[in-house]
Amino acid sequence: MTEPTDQHRVERRADRFTERAATRIWHEEPAADNPYLAVAARCHGYELSQLMQRCSFPQVLFLLFRGELPDVRQTQLLERLMIGLINPGPRHPATRAAMNAGVGKTDASHVLPIALMVLGGGHLGAAEVEPSMRFLRKAVDRPPQQVAVELMAQYEELPGDPDRHLVAGFGRRFGSADVLAAGIADELIAIAGVGSVLAWGRDFAAQLREHQMGWLATGVAAAAFCDLGFMPRAAAGLFQLLCAPGLLAHGVELANKPVTALPWISDDDYVIEDEK
Amino acid sequence: MKNRETWDRQRGVIRSRKGGWFAGKGAFSHGYSILEELVGEASYFQMLTLNVLGVLPERRLADWLEAVHICLSWPDPRIWCNQIGALAGTARASVVAATSAGVLAADSTMYGSRPLLDGVAFIQQALRDHQDGLSAAEIVQREVQKHRGKVRITGYARPLASGDERIPPMEQLTTRLGFEHGPHLTLAYAIEEVLRLDYKESMNINGYVSAFLSDQGFNAEQIYRLFAMVVMSGVTACYVDTLERPAETFLPLRCDDIDYQGPPPRDVP
Repeated sequence: MTEPTDQHRVERRADRFTERAATRIWHEEPAADNPYLAVAARCHGYELSQLMQRCSFPQVLFLLFRGELPDVRQTQLLERLMIGLINPGPRHPATRAAMNAGVGKTDASHVLPIALMVLGGGHLGAAEVEPSMRFLRKAVDRPPQQVAVELMAQYEELPGDPDRHLVAGFGRRFGSADVLAAGIADELIAIAGVGSVLAWGRDFAAQLREHQMGWLATGVAAAAFCDLGFMPRAAAGLFQLLCAPGLLAHGVELANKPVTALPWISDDDYVIEDEK
Repeated sequence: MKNRETWDRQRGVIRSRKGGWFAGKGAFSHGYSILEELVGEASYFQMLTLNVLGVLPERRLADWLEAVHICLSWPDPRIWCNQIGALAGTARASVVAATSAGVLAADSTMYGSRPLLDGVAFIQQALRDHQDGLSAAEIVQREVQKHRGKVRITGYARPLASGDERIPPMEQLTTRLGFEHGPHLTLAYAIEEVLRLDYKESMNINGYVSAFLSDQGFNAEQIYRLFAMVVMSGVTACYVDTLERPAETFLPLRCDDIDYQGPPPRDVP
């Protein structure tokens, strides 16, 4: 065994760790005869069975993250957002990862985690949503036109990277403004009095139209999360959560099909370039 | 509509700068025939480096990388990524799910592979500053000032403990394999000397790896990529340990082992 020299001698630091994990979210009431077994659960004080009887799923989801039940507008916004984001579509890399896992007969419990990891990316994925929220929270007090002009002045067109985003949550998809994302945003904004950040995002996206840019799905999610009062730190995971149903559905759809149900690129179309 | 060429050119075609498998011809990585030139000839870490970075390193560098991977993954389930492996075992997840989950956990700003990005960035910038005339003491002073007098330099002042017992065996191996101290490692030691005298802190394994591999010509992103799976074996070990015991017996919690600090019971309106 190597004797550490003086400068490598290891001593534990005086960090003080907590004795118990703490939570403000969930309380489990123990059974009288078994302290490991919960007989009741409460979410921010509300009994689970009451929530099941009287609330919708979006209301309880909101409660989990905000600590209070939402009002009517907040409920409507979250529910519409959940539907709007429910499926990134069969061409999104995350969905295709799920489909690959499905057709590849990957263990069924891995299909969703695999897709969610891919959805964690910084291009149209979860890692873009938190920066987008931070951008929006700062920018919302300034005129959209001014912000657009400033960002466009700094934006450099790169031929090798034509979809490079102008700023997190806004830019081009396949060289154009994403019409579908803008449509989702419009459906959210149509809820009366819904929130200032979505409205600002709409005006900002309008300024980008002449550059063939606009909302991206990640920006729509970020703006809605701002208006719902969610913390930026929760944004990546919430985006993954809201997109999860579609990812899973596409993966499962392929799971019972033969491996030939997805294309296999032939050797003729497989080009090795610059290999050394 | 402009510039859809980028995507049209890629439809239905895979262009690879890596290699591939062609039935009847073989499998290739960066021009090497994997089965004819590498199996039985290259070590796993040589192959890993070839696949990840596109260069086949000399054997001694691959052996150094393998050794430092041994330093960086221990079967102790108190370490966060390993505990995820242990929890996966007690919950009867698969070994691959457990190991992947632990590896993913180590993609952390606090420990695992990602801090190497900052560690390498620091020492490479420090060397540029040093070559521009800053002394090690001045570099330390600047960094400490940034954090109101505290030593917050990635690669130094290890969390949880002071000192780092992993460095001496790696230093011995470095010498045995015949590597010289390059400018990054030399500066890293000079910085450590300042920290040791003024702050009673020392270099940690991140700092050593960052400086040594910088001297080998790698950049931060390349090093991060090489260490993607660094915690793997310890996670799997902790998984196996709990898998082979009754379910949910790894650190079981009674209801009141959780400190509930939320609102008291209330009725749903």
